Amino acid sequence: MNAYFTRCTLLIIVLCFGVRANAQQFLIPDEVILQHAGSIGYVSVGAGYKLFNNERGNLDLLYGYVPKSKGGTLHIITAKFAYKPFVITVNKLGKIYPFNPGLFFTYTAHPDLQLKFSKDNWPKGYYYWSEAIRPHLSFSNELELTKPRFIKAAGLKSLSVYSEFNSNEWYLVNYFQNVPEVSVKDVFKLGIGVRMRF
Amino acid sequence: MKIFTKLLLLSGLLAGCNAFEYSPNQTFDRNSPTDLNRKALEQLMSVQPKNDTLKFILSGDTQRSYKEIPGFIEKVNSLDKVDFILVAGDITEFGSSKEMEGYATRMKKMRVPVITVIGNHDLTGRGRAAYARMFGDLNFSFIYKGTKFICHDTNSREYKYNGQVPDLNWLAQELKPTAGVKGYISVGHVPPLSEDFDQKLVPKYKAQFENTQGFVAALYGHTHTYLTSEPGDRFNYLVTGSVENKEFIIVTVLNNNITHERVFY
Repeated sequence: MNAYFTRCTLLIIVLCFGVRANAQQFLIPDEVILQHAGSIGYVSVGAGYKLFNNERGNLDLLYGYVPKSKGGTLHIITAKFAYKPFVITVNKLGKIYPFNPGLFFTYTAHPDLQLKFSKDNWPKGYYYWSEAIRPHLSFSNELELTKPRFIKAAGLKSLSVYSEFNSNEWYLVNYFQNVPEVSVKDVFKLGIGVRMRF
Repeated sequence: MKIFTKLLLLSGLLAGCNAFEYSPNQTFDRNSPTDLNRKALEQLMSVQPKNDTLKFILSGDTQRSYKEIPGFIEKVNSLDKVDFILVAGDITEFGSSKEMEGYATRMKKMRVPVITVIGNHDLTGRGRAAYARMFGDLNFSFIYKGTKFICHDTNSREYKYNGQVPDLNWLAQELKPTAGVKGYISVGHVPPLSEDFDQKLVPKYKAQFENTQGFVAALYGHTHTYLTSEPGDRFNYLVTGSVENKEFIIVTVLNNNITHERVFY
């Protein structure tokens, strides 16, 4: 249980701070993100950072909200990392990134959700997961518009629309233990969003 | 380009079948069923009983065992004269509404009503709220063929042994003599023999059953292995094996005499 948390925390720290050398530059996001669903909120807003010299990596930090009427109230903090290995250039439009694998972590703030099950109440290993922190696997596709006139007119370098599928360790445990009774589409959940680069 | 088109198509399809999720911790989505226990009881009461013999299934702990559920359903549906099914808790592993939905959707194929009692796993995360919306009250009772079934939350550890769970006052009320009730059966998840049950409450809890005229049996799950009362025990109890172990119990009661049979599938 401890090891699990240490690993999660380390990974987030590495993702957040280990990538850019220039600290000042690090703080200025490259993109503004708005997302609907995708297991990180009914709506979420955040900042995106381009990673690596080829800018194929994304680090996104988001705040998400689920209102009571949609099964909340939940406040969710998300740190995403994804890489775009494939690119298709489309004349007059921009680029398509058809398959971008990634992983992300969510922290959900709610009185019912403990960071870890207290050792005072549950024997070690009684429950083996965190209620508040969830690791997710994701894959997304993205259409990045740079060429159309309205992009520049709006003062943007690019405007992207994307859809992202994700699953988490709860759902994957249930999936792998129950193939084929539980199918991939039962455990991968969808979100859609836009990224604006200024 | 082809891949992208396919992914777009897939996105559209998944959007159509409720793939948009706001959080694994959301307590419901727009397709979540509600009040399933009340609906099951309405279904049960809507049919005039043909005889006085009670025959029902005791099962529990479906948890991560979705692939065992179809075999369970097939076996139960092949049995004659079953009145209803009691699932004695732990219908989820992680207490998520998605798991509860996965369970509820599959159990719809049962020919007879399914009544679901809350287990400790179902109380983790936001499970308590999700269960309350999807199934109903955590403590509830119903009367069928002159027997009162008292379904209650016995998951003391999840409440940090606060002395309120199981709710002995509520139980005392439910066990009071009632017109038209000749027998009492209690249903919970954690049996009193488990450390997960508040041991401070065990003597009073047991005494309530022992002192109730017409108390037939106490039914539980949680241990995943079959257990029953032994000579010397002052009231009957039954603990069912889990769905994971492909086992359930058929319980038959006539004139407060209880018999049971283990079934494997």
